[in-house]
Formats: sequence, structure tokens, C-alpha cells
Amino acid sequence: MTIRHHPSDELLTAFAAGTLDQGQHVAIATHLVRCSHCRGWMHSVEHVGGKILADLSPTAMSRDAFSRVEARFNEPINAAKPAAISVPTDLDDVAGLPAFMRQYRAGSWKWIAPRVHLRPIRLPHANNTRVFLLKSGPGTKMLEHTHTGVEMTCVLSGSFSHEGGHFGPGDFDLGDQTMDHQVLVDPGEDCICLVAMQGDLRLNGLVGRLVQPFVRM
Amino acid sequence: MRAESLRALDSTNWAELIAAVAKSQDRAAFSTLFAYFAPRVKTFMRRSGVSEASADELAQETLLAVWRKAALFDPASAGASSWIFTIARNMRIDALRRELRGSAHETSDIDAEFQVDDSPQPDSNLASAQLETRVRAALAELSEEQMCVVELSFYEEKAHGEIAQILQIPLGTVKSRLRLAMKRLRNVLGESS
Repeated sequence: MTIRHHPSDELLTAFAAGTLDQGQHVAIATHLVRCSHCRGWMHSVEHVGGKILADLSPTAMSRDAFSRVEARFNEPINAAKPAAISVPTDLDDVAGLPAFMRQYRAGSWKWIAPRVHLRPIRLPHANNTRVFLLKSGPGTKMLEHTHTGVEMTCVLSGSFSHEGGHFGPGDFDLGDQTMDHQVLVDPGEDCICLVAMQGDLRLNGLVGRLVQPFVRM
Repeated sequence: MRAESLRALDSTNWAELIAAVAKSQDRAAFSTLFAYFAPRVKTFMRRSGVSEASADELAQETLLAVWRKAALFDPASAGASSWIFTIARNMRIDALRRELRGSAHETSDIDAEFQVDDSPQPDSNLASAQLETRVRAALAELSEEQMCVVELSFYEEKAHGEIAQILQIPLGTVKSRLRLAMKRLRNVLGESS
């Protein structure tokens, strides 16, 4: 299936530069594992980084810096790596996630609205972003909502549409305060997305206000 | 300054030096790499807001990782300086996280967080040396103002707002300059990238 919706060049640049919050990083990485086109651009940006690094003016190193590094050549590589991922992992059964996601814990599916379930992923270093899987049944018309911050969505399976177009597996969608989403899930199968959300989701209307407490994690 | 470092970069084959470290633990080759890159990684860390002492340490850690991981360097898929850049970038993320959460807390495998290629083959059909040359040519075509926002966008989280403050230009101008710069890069690099 062709991917039609990509993150902006600026977001891909921020990803490759390593300046994104972990939550947003994960959302872009989820797109990248499916999109060789964007991976190519990411590698170009890494070359830009290399060029910028090589062109920087030098700052003098401390006098014993080299000998200190040399002294550590034979030091056993300390096992500061994350403890071997506890098995079986929570996210093994979710297709389309980058492999590194398996190191994280996930909660269980929670009901948040008719035919809509949410499963939080616990990232140790996400500051300002919550990451979760969102599963919507076929034909679900999602509650109309707006965002108080930026929301990144990457489709893992199934598909949906809104005013911005049609989104299938691998497609990336960015929502912000300026958008009022009305999402319609395609018939046929569940649509599962990975969502990285900054700020809060504001559901509009009475039903929205009733389920709002459940959406806050 | 820039022309000078370019000459230095051209006259030394960094990739060969890294290969020598990998193959025969060549200390002379490593010391040449260290002499050039450690002080520049330190500048990179300083500009990222890291203190003098920590920047020195992170530059040491980065070069130590170059020594240890030299065998993983694949000249076909990355240029030497872009490979060292990715190591420095990951060190910086790690340092930032440790600072935020306290060192004993949970760690994440940052190298893994950037592994988004499922195939061992590079995606680009351009050889990395070719890509490097093209990137250099593309950057040379940017205006000084555009280059400035591209450079600054490598340093900070919430980069755009802070770039606007540093350059004392409106946020919208930062965004449009960056967008234009990226567009020009894309044009020069072509769809092959």
C-alpha cells in the first residue's frame, strides 16, 4: 500500500537532529519503519548534521582528555544498557511498531467510547507527550474533538478519513489547535493507530463531556 | 573558517581511519580522529546548552564510542562525520534524559530508537560518498540566513521559538526560512534521497 501522508521536512529534521520529545520521536519512528522515502530524507539530514559537526569551530579539550579515553580502551563495556527486555513483552502482538518499542510497558485496552478503545504505552522519557494505541471499530464516527497541543497519529492497521484526506497503514497525520477533526473509520476492519498527544484532547458536545474523564490518563 | 575546515576534511580520509581502528585497533589513526572530532563534538555539546565540564566528558564518551564501535561503521551507508554526528547526538539525548530523571532511573536504548531501517541495506540508491558530496553542494547553495536556521535547528528542543529569540526575528520567519531551506535541500538532493 502506498503511503500518502508524511511528516513535514521540519519534523523529520528534528527527528534526525535528535531534538524531539520521546513521545513524538516514537510517532515519527513508527512512520519511518514503513516509509523508505522518509528514511532516505532522514539519512540526508544526518549527513547535514555530519557536515555541520565537521565545520564547527573547535573548543579546546581538557589537557588529559585523550589519555583518559585511552585508559578506557580495554575497560569492559559496562552494562548500562537497559536490562534485557522482560519477556514476553506487552507490545509483541502489535504489528507495525518499531522494534525498540518492545522495551516499553503498555497498559491494557480501556474502553473510552462506544467501539473505541485506548491502550497507554509507558515511555520512561516522554515529557510532555502521552503515547497510546487507539483502536476504533469499523465504521466508527469518532467524537468531534479539538486539541490543546500537537497530536501525531500514525496508522498501524485499518484506515480512516477526515477533511484532510484518507489515511491507511503507515500514513502520518498531524493535528493541532487549528483543526476540528471529524474522523470516520472505514468499514471492514478495526483501525489501530499510534497516537502521540501533547496537551489535552477536548471532546465537543455532551457525550464528549461525559467521556472526557476517561480520556484523561 | 569554514573553507579551512573543509580543506582539512578533504585532505583526511576519516572513513579509512575508522576502518583502521576497526581492523587493527590503530591508535595513531584514532588519535587523528580524536584531535579533529573531540573538540568539535565539545562545541556541539556546548551549543546544546551543556556545561563546560560535561561537554568535555561527553566529547570523550563520544570518541570512546567511536573506538569501541568502529567495526560497526559501514562506509557504504554513512559518511564518517555523519556517523560520528549520530553518536554525539545519541550521547546528548542520553545526557539530557539522565539530567531530567536522575541517573539511576530507567534508561532507554537510544541507539535502538533510531533504528528504523528493517533491511540491512541502505535505502538510498546513492552511495554514501555521493550523498555526502551532494549534501555539501546543497548546503553551499543555501543563503547564510537559511544555513543559520538549519544549524540552529540541530541544537534545541522547542527549537523554533528559541531560534526566533536568538536571531530576534519573528517565529513565522524562522519557520518559513527553515521550510525554504529544506525545500532547496530537497531539490538539490532530488527524490533519490
